[in-house]
Amino acid sequence: MTDDRDALLPTLHAVALRVEAARRLAPPAGTAVLQSIVEATAVLFGAEAASLALHDAGTDRLVFAVAAGEQGQGVVGLAIDSGQGVAGYVFSTGQPLALSDVERDARFGRDTAEQTGYVPRSLIAVPLMDDEGILGVLEVLDKCGGGAFDLRDVELATVFARQATVAIRSSRIERDTANLLRSTLRGADEGASTGSGSDEAALDSIVAAAIDRLGADDDDPLWALADQIARLRAADPYQLELVRELLAVLVRRAERGRGRVR
Amino acid sequence: MSQLLPAWSEPFATDHRAALRRLQPFGPIDRSWAFGSADGDGVVVAIVDSGVEGGHPAVGGALRESVRVELQGEDAAVVPDEPIDAVGHGTACAGIVHALAPKATLLSVRVLGSDNRGKGLAFATGLQWAIENGASIVNLSLSSRSESLYATLHDLVDRAYFANVLLICAANNVAVASYPSLFAAVVSVAAHDVRDPGVWFYNPHPPVEFGAYGLDVEVAWKDGGRIVATGNSFAAPHLAGYAARVRSAHPDATPFEIKTILGATATPAG
Repeated sequence: MTDDRDALLPTLHAVALRVEAARRLAPPAGTAVLQSIVEATAVLFGAEAASLALHDAGTDRLVFAVAAGEQGQGVVGLAIDSGQGVAGYVFSTGQPLALSDVERDARFGRDTAEQTGYVPRSLIAVPLMDDEGILGVLEVLDKCGGGAFDLRDVELATVFARQATVAIRSSRIERDTANLLRSTLRGADEGASTGSGSDEAALDSIVAAAIDRLGADDDDPLWALADQIARLRAADPYQLELVRELLAVLVRRAERGRGRVR
Repeated sequence: MSQLLPAWSEPFATDHRAALRRLQPFGPIDRSWAFGSADGDGVVVAIVDSGVEGGHPAVGGALRESVRVELQGEDAAVVPDEPIDAVGHGTACAGIVHALAPKATLLSVRVLGSDNRGKGLAFATGLQWAIENGASIVNLSLSSRSESLYATLHDLVDRAYFANVLLICAANNVAVASYPSLFAAVVSVAAHDVRDPGVWFYNPHPPVEFGAYGLDVEVAWKDGGRIVATGNSFAAPHLAGYAARVRSAHPDATPFEIKTILGATATPAG
């Protein structure tokens, strides 16, 4: 694949440009999917709260994206080191963790409490993992009624998190241009009969070159147009009708103007 | 019905232990001969994990050195580290070893907290450092699922075995293959459901040959704390602690012999 790189790059760049434009046109990222996952988690486990953190590859941090339960909301937006704390451990190792009697020692939750205003008594943390890797961590906090989580809960949470990972991945795979290119190239490479097999580093550098400068200039009229169209898609029918009429007036005006110049 | 256990732990559950009964191949080996009152003196146990909190009361000042693996591009380097734990997990393991073998010296090799893509490499690098830097027992309460590291880890396990270093590995909590816990030359440990740190079972049906205390274990955690935790992660250091005692009682015993002694002195099954 590396030998054909010079020929491949312009094509990949063009593909990346179109994917990026499509990505920007799509409605805001699948927060609804994430939110329904944590809501379902809290109900399923009879828990006071549940939260979900996703790994941000750019910063190598885990960012709590959504939470369910009144108590859990303080954590949303919190970003932690990908190897720090319970969530970091679960993310870095792919191992679930069940802890209880956490509140007995106030020191345990000091950092968390300062940042979120809430320290659970007991918790389960499981990786959001599938064959492709680990996307983040799902946490189930405090059983309603005060009991401790048992291993059956851990097992159930692990299975549930796997399903959730599939849902998250399918809702966002097309959103990440780099990931899409990488998985397509990897698929093409495995499908090729030459069997030359490019290693991951080579793949990364091709993808990086293809998406290089893609989003560098946010003032580019292409992105401005994409952003405006994306906003339009969120508008209600009445607003859309208004915009359509405005555009019609503008077009007529532009046509008249062109006629005069001629 | 017995309690639900982590993956790989089923053979050690109350209902299934009858299947572990067999002819004991050894006569005179018992715990008083195997380790008696030996306390781990002269034995160095490395904890390859999230770091170890050196000042934690449960570690009792036994931590001699802390290092961490730093990723530098495609390479990994081992650098000195503060005696800290980013999670609490490594301190939990260190505390269990120290409680059973109080005179054993501890080394901490922090392999978490690095860039996600290099974590397998960090793990292998940390393990190699432990093998080459004086550890005679290495507790690995974590493992790698990476197939691309299979050969590297297999090679490291062989190297440890030939260098007289015993690796004690927690089996994965999820029923998937992970390494090096499923390699033959390590002591692979899952959890049983008896709440007694002095109880361990030997399973003559590999890959996971030992079951130790790992269910609702009160362990040390970060910031001087203690919590109750469950998992194969907490079973492995119990065996590491007893292995350290065997090593201090029989300094010439090889990894193969220590494994044999641990098997011979396991709690009678059934």
